[in-house]
Amino acid sequence: MGYIRQPVISLRDVRFEYPHGGFSLSVAELVVPSGTRAAAIGPSGSGKTTLLNLISGIERPGLGEVSTAGMRVDRLSPAARRSFRITTIGFVFQEFLLLEYLDVLDNILYPYRLHPELRLDASVRSRARQLASDLGLAELLARRPSELSQGERQRVAIARALVTAPSLILADEPTGNLDPATKQQALDLLFEQCEARSTTLLMVTHDHGLLDQFAQIVDVEALGPAEA
Amino acid sequence: MRDSIYLAWRYLRHHRTKTLLLVLSLSVFLGLPLIMRAMSHATQQSLLSRAEATPLLLGKKGSSLDLVVETLYFQLKGAEPITKADVDALQATGLALGIPIRTGLMARGFPLVGTSLDYFPFRKLRMTEGRGLAMMGECILGAEAAEALGLGPGDALLTSPSTLFDLAGVYPLKLHVVGVLEPSYGPDDAAVFVDLRTAWVAEGMGHGHQDLSSAGPDVVLKRKEGTVTANAKLVQYNEITESNVDSFHFHGDPSSYPVTAAIVVPHDEKSGVLLRGRFVDAETRQLVRPAQVVDSLNKQIFRFERVLRIVVWTVGLATAVMFVLVMVLSWRLRAEELRTMKRLGCSRWKAAQIMGSEIALMVGASVLLAGVFGIVMAQYGETWLQTLILRGS
Repeated sequence: MGYIRQPVISLRDVRFEYPHGGFSLSVAELVVPSGTRAAAIGPSGSGKTTLLNLISGIERPGLGEVSTAGMRVDRLSPAARRSFRITTIGFVFQEFLLLEYLDVLDNILYPYRLHPELRLDASVRSRARQLASDLGLAELLARRPSELSQGERQRVAIARALVTAPSLILADEPTGNLDPATKQQALDLLFEQCEARSTTLLMVTHDHGLLDQFAQIVDVEALGPAEA
Repeated sequence: MRDSIYLAWRYLRHHRTKTLLLVLSLSVFLGLPLIMRAMSHATQQSLLSRAEATPLLLGKKGSSLDLVVETLYFQLKGAEPITKADVDALQATGLALGIPIRTGLMARGFPLVGTSLDYFPFRKLRMTEGRGLAMMGECILGAEAAEALGLGPGDALLTSPSTLFDLAGVYPLKLHVVGVLEPSYGPDDAAVFVDLRTAWVAEGMGHGHQDLSSAGPDVVLKRKEGTVTANAKLVQYNEITESNVDSFHFHGDPSSYPVTAAIVVPHDEKSGVLLRGRFVDAETRQLVRPAQVVDSLNKQIFRFERVLRIVVWTVGLATAVMFVLVMVLSWRLRAEELRTMKRLGCSRWKAAQIMGSEIALMVGASVLLAGVFGIVMAQYGETWLQTLILRGS
């Protein structure tokens, strides 16, 4: 007997415009079911990052519904959206965006330092260490980001995204700065960790060679009429 | 809040050079005006209290400030001396006690002060070790001098030659330490006290040598009507001992010998008024009230301090502007970090809290540093500033 998976991402009749104009994004409908590994593709300027911002509540649509992990983020106040974001979504950025003044362990635990709803206790530390170990970072916990390779830095960024046990990971070209060998290694780790935790992944990528590894492809240009 | 402080601490620790510079600048900004004010107040009080404890000073006409500074604080050299006869004449009036003070020489870096035994009870100086002066050639050390030189009763120290390269000049005199004074937290602590006649011997105005009446022809050049002329073989004593003290003598009339000044202690108020009246029109002598002189010095210091305060506040303001500028630039450079915080879900309030914690930690460290600096200055600064003001005046 089959069952219907609840969507983690659901956008309906969304229209978004930046306040000073110049760019808008329209989404007629987008549904990403729970546990799915999805890729968002499209040329530069098509609105991939804007889509991630709408899903995560960084931006609020002018029209339409945005539902993430069962929450209508378009209806939330800015403070509630921030709170929702840090507790429910993990981010992986192309530039890693690690903090040089923190060591690897503190970088992984960084979200816990930023929000009072996330309590940093012994169990969280233990989880962070386990995560670091799973990602091959166990020996590097005391190092600074500048002492790491690009691949190691991205693994730290992945660990930081996963440490809060989010239901959704949004990755914005996470392999864009990595060489091919490291790229596949980082992706394997990301997929493995998401799968192990049944975490939904929506990843922006330009690399069409990777698309066969994703269960769902979201062509941002095809979501609705994008106007420049 | 704990997390904000932790992140702020890690950031500051990582940028420790920048942090240290900012903390130092801020501590100067915060501490300097307060320390300066406290120190100058303490110094003025300390200067005044010693001056107030000295009713009158008799000295040669000239700069009353030089006279007070040299006689009370043993700092300057060069006040024109009066004579022992002046002190005797003052005593003879029956109106006051005259305590002679002879300064000018040094003993291993500390001022040598020739005086009479009356000086010690007048200044309420008590011995912590040993005994008082009993004979020529003995000295008593102030507490600070004794500690710095590591000397005590039974030890000896040499006076510093005033003319180092003059072989025919005055040779150092070996002084026997017989006592050490209790700390009085004033200029007496850093002085070496001797009897007035010992001070004259140290200056070369008196001397002791082997008995010429029994000296052989290899020493005596000529004997004529009670006058004996000796050659350089004559043994001159460079220390005064019980066995040679009788050979020490002064050529000429000791009452004409120099005294830097005399502390004048009138027997009562009326005597003081009478004495001051006698010196109002004196041509070569002056009778000054040290409290008045120091008060006018304090007014000068206060005027100088006001100017300095303006300078310090200006520097402080520049430091504060620089601090704000550095912080603003630093946050601009950290725009990426702030964006990341926002994207992860950090509130503006939390970001402000982290930045505020950085400022608070730096200001806290600066206040602490200024406090420590203040305590150190409170401990040693007064003496240091007093020396600076008196030497520079």
